Amino acid sequence: MRDADGRGLVGVGLRSAHFPRLLGCPRTPVRWFEALSENYMDSEGRPLEVLLKIREDYPVALHGVSLSVGGVEGPRPGYLARLKRLAERAEPFLITDHLCFTGAHASNLHDLLPLPYTEEAVRVVAANVGRAQDALGRTIALENVSSYLTYPESEMAEWEFLTAVARRAGCKILLDVNNIYVSAKNHDFSAEIYIDAVPAKLVAQIHLGGYSDMGTFLFDTHSRAPTQPVWDLYRRAIRRLSGAPVLIEWDEDVPPWETLEAQAVKAAALREEALAQPA
Amino acid sequence: MPSPLEALQRRFVSAVAEGDGALAAAVRGGGRLSPAEAVAVYVRGYPARLTEALGETFQVCWRVLGDENFFAACRDYIAGHPSRSHNLSDYGSDFPACLGARPDSVQAPFLEDLARFEWAFKELFHKAPHDGLAAARLAAAAGPASRLRLGSASVLLALNHRVYGIWRRDRADDTPLRPRDWEGAERLLLYKAGSNPVFVRELPVPEHAALSALEKGLPLGEALAAADGLDEAGARTLFAFLAESGLIAAVAP
Ligand SMILES: [Fe+2]
Repeated sequence: MRDADGRGLVGVGLRSAHFPRLLGCPRTPVRWFEALSENYMDSEGRPLEVLLKIREDYPVALHGVSLSVGGVEGPRPGYLARLKRLAERAEPFLITDHLCFTGAHASNLHDLLPLPYTEEAVRVVAANVGRAQDALGRTIALENVSSYLTYPESEMAEWEFLTAVARRAGCKILLDVNNIYVSAKNHDFSAEIYIDAVPAKLVAQIHLGGYSDMGTFLFDTHSRAPTQPVWDLYRRAIRRLSGAPVLIEWDEDVPPWETLEAQAVKAAALREEALAQPA
Repeated sequence: MPSPLEALQRRFVSAVAEGDGALAAAVRGGGRLSPAEAVAVYVRGYPARLTEALGETFQVCWRVLGDENFFAACRDYIAGHPSRSHNLSDYGSDFPACLGARPDSVQAPFLEDLARFEWAFKELFHKAPHDGLAAARLAAAAGPASRLRLGSASVLLALNHRVYGIWRRDRADDTPLRPRDWEGAERLLLYKAGSNPVFVRELPVPEHAALSALEKGLPLGEALAAADGLDEAGARTLFAFLAESGLIAAVAP
């Protein structure tokens, strides 16, 4: 995913609103797409048809929201088999999900719920990642989530938890710079320390998205472009993580293709600029 | 004894899905949120997501009911139906029956049927198109004793109200619906013809009877005979449709 203009590493989320445009094979600096696993793993219809068509021309990553890797019950029965089947067809360069739990088997809350940063949670996640990686036959990457509450029983900082999980589980990290900023503001820690502490060799991908300021807290809505502080953090992160593919995430109020594309161009340009600066 | 993580996750699920207030005592709020306000961020998101999923599948029911009544129906449904799937788009299989039991259905008795149609349409949308038999092969293979298997990307519906016209109505058309718009039974075939678009065909009663009989595995001759009122011309029209639509996936002698 590297090409001559240096923009080869930037991708965007694949959204049905852009299907007609993308099927017209537009010239675009966007070099890869991220597809939401759950939107395709249960569908043999038009969405999968489009994904496989896009895949003929672009690398694709699969991004899930329902693995519930931190859930004490483990992944839902049948989930991993379906994901594997999709992976066999879409041949993604990376499969990712979130470092969180999503509820219980009997009641899926369909949300990315924060875990306490405890040794028990590291153990549970590592065991579930092991099951997932065995079933899929490959390494996955876990993304840090935005959160609006923390637990007093946490025994370590979020970045220590993220790193401990990746090391113990033998998986990679999808570093969401926006989520780091949102959680840093919400829980009053340093986003810079977080970014600098994550081992570069564990990071397999970077996410950039937009949050909403609710007045009393920051809310991860993915409904707008990244804000300036997130771009600043990205600039800091990309110098250490220059090999990681970067993704612009925009899930709500999805903008016209050109707007999304412009964010990808900006991410690519900032990356070039940051890498050109002396250390 | 549940482990600390297990206990915490159970408490989280009860807080969000059942409104249990105990979680707030076990968390710190982010930003300037109190613990209870922080929990409320997650509590609010849950019905919003499930309502969005219902709204996506049952778009026309929503339009017919209007925001207030549709959201009220969602609220009641969500309270009694946790999501057990990894996929939000699986949510709502019992929503048609739930709509049928609501007071809204006194004024709009077709709601349950409309919801059944929308659910069937969504399910079919996600199915792979089947390979239908080409017309010539079907004509060569099919005799009175042969069993014609309908392809997997098809579904027959027998509804008590006419809802296809309501579903097809222009979004901008806001003339009030009248009983004559929905009164009378309706029989529909939803199918894919070798590629992804979903087609809908309104079936006369005899055609529906014949296709239902084929679906049950009856030989062609018996299926046609079971279709009361299907004359020879009707049978020919039906067969021509089967040949051209690729609805039949296999013929067993
Ligand atoms: Fe993300």
